Amino acid sequence: MSGAGRTSLVLWLIGPAFLGVAAYLALVAPPATIPIGEMKIIPSDAVKGGAWRQAKVDARGVVAGSDRPCSECHKLFTTPPGENKALVQHKDIVMNHGMNTRCLNCHDGDDRDKLVLHDGTTVSFADTPRLCSQCHGTVYRDWQLGTHGKTLGSWDAKDEKHRRLTCNECHEPHSPAYKPMKPLPAPTTLRMGDQSMPKEHHGKESPLRRRSASPHEGGPEHGEPAEPSQDKTPMEPGQPAEKGGGK
Amino acid sequence: MSIRIHEGKSAGTEVTRRSFLRTGTAVAGGMAALAAALSPLKDLKPEEEFSLEKFIQKHYKEMTPDDMKGALDRITREVEHRYKVRPEVRDMRPKAGVEFVYALNLSRCIGCRKCVYACVEENNQSRAPEIQYIRVIEMPRGTLDLEKGNHHYERPTVPDGDHFYMPVQCHQCANPPCVKVCPVEATWQDDDGITVIDYDWCIGCRYCEAACPYWARRFNFVKPEIPEADINKDMGYLSNRPRPKGVVEKCHFCLHRTREGRLPACLEACPTGARKFGNVLDPNSEVSQILKTKRVFVLKEEVGTLPRFFYYFDERYPRSLDPEAKQVALSLGYTPGAGGWTPPAGDPARAIGGGEVAR
Repeated sequence: MSGAGRTSLVLWLIGPAFLGVAAYLALVAPPATIPIGEMKIIPSDAVKGGAWRQAKVDARGVVAGSDRPCSECHKLFTTPPGENKALVQHKDIVMNHGMNTRCLNCHDGDDRDKLVLHDGTTVSFADTPRLCSQCHGTVYRDWQLGTHGKTLGSWDAKDEKHRRLTCNECHEPHSPAYKPMKPLPAPTTLRMGDQSMPKEHHGKESPLRRRSASPHEGGPEHGEPAEPSQDKTPMEPGQPAEKGGGK
Repeated sequence: MSIRIHEGKSAGTEVTRRSFLRTGTAVAGGMAALAAALSPLKDLKPEEEFSLEKFIQKHYKEMTPDDMKGALDRITREVEHRYKVRPEVRDMRPKAGVEFVYALNLSRCIGCRKCVYACVEENNQSRAPEIQYIRVIEMPRGTLDLEKGNHHYERPTVPDGDHFYMPVQCHQCANPPCVKVCPVEATWQDDDGITVIDYDWCIGCRYCEAACPYWARRFNFVKPEIPEADINKDMGYLSNRPRPKGVVEKCHFCLHRTREGRLPACLEACPTGARKFGNVLDPNSEVSQILKTKRVFVLKEEVGTLPRFFYYFDERYPRSLDPEAKQVALSLGYTPGAGGWTPPAGDPARAIGGGEVAR
């Protein structure tokens, strides 16, 4: 075939070839899949902003079913200030406040609707920082500066919505240490997700794997097949390998 | 093109029936192929990825107030079309005399990841594939070795006593490498220190993502999926309006909230008060006090990015994890158990309540 004939043949074929490719892409080829995973729905309540616990601002409803002030009952019953007895009421209260194990260390024995300081001054239930500061002086100082505790409303102290939470809006006064809590699920983002990759990579331990999955006891090993975790969103195999060296 | 067809015979412009048909068929075939290749464009609706309005939109800094109003209207229409909710899109400008700084107390962080998902919800981040601005890295206690860090941890409860937790997000650097590498100036540092992105100007080259030493930037490989019910209608042009496919996004200190005085969503969700935010130019603000009174450090100080995100420890251990406190408890006769510590018999703590003590 002459050179001219070959050229014209090629030109003849270009159009149909493009059409063929277009038809293939439009009709036959499967759509490109990007492993987007499944949608994880985290209830809004789990990440709701605000105070960690509902603090009591007045002395009401401590006993189940009651919405009366504490003094209503306590004018009938008195508690001897000495030894503690097994209580009939308030059994749901768990005491874990170090050496501070006496009710009347903080609660006023005479006026049950108040709290009491060491010097006998009574303060309201909404004014816990003054009470707690008697023992936790350094934390109180930090709290005054704003370096301990939580502030809501506004970052600007001049804003009227700026409000620093009081001690008992985060800490349960009878057992103030934070309890361990369940963490929300681990990320499965395209770059951070379950990096399913073989343990062995060309006969060597994969460096990406070594970095991204640190040894941790009990938890599922990453990249281990046939171990679907309940908490994890299943990801399609063939995840893109972690970019940027897994860091 | 026609020159090649007449090759060898004559160099003139003589058109024969044969050459006309050949050329015509080739041109028709080429046009058909071109039409086929462009055919996806006909499915685009103005309310979706492409519109002329968006195409001719100016750079954020060159927009007049009228331009911005038009852009906000367009975004409102797009969001309404896409998610069936009517958003309130605003353009928030930095306030004078304000420079934002974040401080995070590593002694208090328990690794619960509430900040991560509060951020996802606030900022209309894609749920599938997941995009998260905050990464909580779990590291063995006694080290600050990111190589030993793990952000995939799954535990029944946190903290587990042997690890500490370090949330990492955009550090809003004063010397931001991401801004330097952007070829189109789609990302820049605003006057209040927040590095922002104009999602309409971003070309998706991902240079900034590679430049960031904190791995703070995220790329939208596909159109973000957000359930209609979970759309946050309070939107800012530079912050949490829904992003299109093919642009980069990152933490912006919730600027649609913080520029009107509110606090970032991650801070509000934090159960322990580990997160602190404020104006560093105000000497009495919480963050200024932290910088003054605490031993703060920045992550990867040696790379010279000058972050506005500070970490600090103010206790050696949270009280519940303190090994010395455990020693004291043991010497007092407390017995460790699955649920916590049980006081010895005759201890007053036992008489009140159950004496159950969390660890």
